Amino acid sequence: MAILPILQFPDPRLKEKSAHVTGVTTEVSAFIDDLLETMRASPGCVGIAAPQVGMSSRIIVVDVSAHRRGGQEGNHGLLVLVNPEILAMGGKQLVREGCMSVPDYTANVQRAQWVLVDALDREGKQVILEAIGFEAVAIQHEVDHLDGYLFLDRVSSIKTDLFRRKRYRS
Amino acid sequence: MGHFSVSVMGKDRPGIVAEVSRILYELGFNIEDSTCTILSGQFAMILVVFHEKLQSATEVSPSFDEVRRNMGLQVTVHSLKAEEVVHEKSFAGHPHIISVYGADRPGIVYTVARELAQRRVNITDLNTQVVGSKERPVYVMVMEVDIPESVDMKELNGVFDRVKKELSVSISVRPIETLEL
Repeated sequence: MAILPILQFPDPRLKEKSAHVTGVTTEVSAFIDDLLETMRASPGCVGIAAPQVGMSSRIIVVDVSAHRRGGQEGNHGLLVLVNPEILAMGGKQLVREGCMSVPDYTANVQRAQWVLVDALDREGKQVILEAIGFEAVAIQHEVDHLDGYLFLDRVSSIKTDLFRRKRYRS
Repeated sequence: MGHFSVSVMGKDRPGIVAEVSRILYELGFNIEDSTCTILSGQFAMILVVFHEKLQSATEVSPSFDEVRRNMGLQVTVHSLKAEEVVHEKSFAGHPHIISVYGADRPGIVYTVARELAQRRVNITDLNTQVVGSKERPVYVMVMEVDIPESVDMKELNGVFDRVKKELSVSISVRPIETLEL
């Protein structure tokens, strides 16, 4: 296992569309372990996507169970999603998001309150799951990474929605 | 080589940023940090800039005489010591948003700020506005603060309950919960 370096904007690789994963091979599985370890190494971090570490593959990891608020809402704990596809979404919520690839800012982003996701789990088995609240936000944020979108692309006003980080995570 | 802070203020009009940044560019400055706003038609901008050679504010300031004259701007240049330029903030608390609103009256900002200062709560952002009609002006203040570990939130909320009655305003304090992704 290894902690991988995180790409930061304006690295052009963050703006690319990631490739479909053909199967959860031993190599893919080892990469997922690294991705998990990288997420865990960053304090408070509840999600990561493969392109953030320079791997153009449709793989995301989300775990909001340890988050102060996210952990209190219904959540699935650790989620490894390969080729995730958001089938349906509904409702609206405004959440302040931070991103390891855009470390100097946080932003209020409008996201769906609820998502229905189709994906492969880490064994390569198809899963269909529903997520709400912070977990739904985390999934939408990470799926955006797979399509080359950052939260900066989702902000509607720099003046009211984008915030310079007042302090760095210690 | 050195860092400088440059503040620019004056009646808003198109071209202020272009002129100020042109002067900085022509002198070989790098703009490291900047923000600007417009309040009641007054433009205000503050920049932290870096130069490879220049060190003293008195060498830099005269370059802005032209915009002072032509655009009626007030431009102030200060040189910063290396240790004054911090990219990381040492103050570590819990970020909160405090919103206060009520009928306009003197002392709203001061009363809230005083209570915060006494508890070493750092105000990191502050916006105030008067909204509503001329007959019934409503004062709105939104501040972002860093509340240190040492602050007893129960006590602080108790203080705000008192202030609410004293000034007849609404006050809400809520943590900023950032989802780190």
